[in-house]
Amino acid sequence: MVRNKFLEFFLLAARIILSFLFIYAGAEKISDPESFSQAIENYKLFPIYSINFFAIIIPWIELISGLLLLFGIKVKENSLIISSLLVVFTLAVAISMMRGLNFDCGCFGKPSPIGWKKLGENFLMLVLCVMLIIYDSKLVSLSDKTKSN
Amino acid sequence: MNISFKDIALIIIASILVGFIYNSLNPKGISLIKEKKELVFESDSLLLSIDQEVETIDSIKTSEITEKELIPKGNNVRKDSVQKKEENKIIIEPFTEPKAIKIDLAYKLYQQGVKFIDARMPDEYSLGHIKGAYNIPFDGDESYREILNNFSKEEILVVYCGGTDCDLSFYLGNELSEKGFKRVYVFFGGWNEWIENDYPISKN
Repeated sequence: MVRNKFLEFFLLAARIILSFLFIYAGAEKISDPESFSQAIENYKLFPIYSINFFAIIIPWIELISGLLLLFGIKVKENSLIISSLLVVFTLAVAISMMRGLNFDCGCFGKPSPIGWKKLGENFLMLVLCVMLIIYDSKLVSLSDKTKSN
Repeated sequence: MNISFKDIALIIIASILVGFIYNSLNPKGISLIKEKKELVFESDSLLLSIDQEVETIDSIKTSEITEKELIPKGNNVRKDSVQKKEENKIIIEPFTEPKAIKIDLAYKLYQQGVKFIDARMPDEYSLGHIKGAYNIPFDGDESYREILNNFSKEEILVVYCGGTDCDLSFYLGNELSEKGFKRVYVFFGGWNEWIENDYPISKN
């Protein structure tokens, strides 16, 4: 399959941006699980007994998917995981906006309130993810080259 | 589009395992089931006690010494959370978790000269706040918290934020209790109820 060089570079850039964002987000939450647990509670969307389960696993899913994506391992699969997380996050932010709640979204370390800006960011990341799911990205990759060719 | 769902399951299972192992080894790890911190409302007897004391303030001042001698040991008065009053100050037994109060009690405490703390962000604070309240934004940086060094741990503090919908006062109240303040109240109605009642405010 002949692939456009420009598209390849674009996909590589998307991969790097997404992976850094998710590695950073994951690592930040892992370093302070209590805050993330509090952030999930703020959304008031999940039953109280399930909150810490999510608070324990979501950061690691973000971190591991981010790392695998960075090294080009299982790009489609990891993009699908990340996009699923993004859809959940975006829905949570959107529901909170409709309810008129206003609090720190708990997305990245520094406080950033929920709002249209957050929805926009998530949407952009989601677009990058979907492109990676559709086109894959094999440039600068640790995965098996013989298979991909 | 050949996506391997087996790989996705593997990645997620691996993340769950690593997450739980790390959490159990991490000294800052969290419990599996979140404990819900709930606010307990201060009993109405405190409100009644303040009312009574305000009414009888003059008689107490004059007869303080004799009254002390008259109260026998183990009297019911001792069991009440308000014990005695000295120079127009109420005395409340210390407690470890913040307690919630409603507008009536908050205003009573305000009249007694109790310190109020605004947990909202500085821009909201500057648009208007309870007169004389200090601003310690819960999401703000540490420099705002320096003022706490001037407060006695024994003092009564009332924390509030926007209204019943906001959690900032609750979080700040918990933080203050953890820092060792022994009489922290969370004024539940907050700013919205305060202005509805036309109580004293200031802007800057």
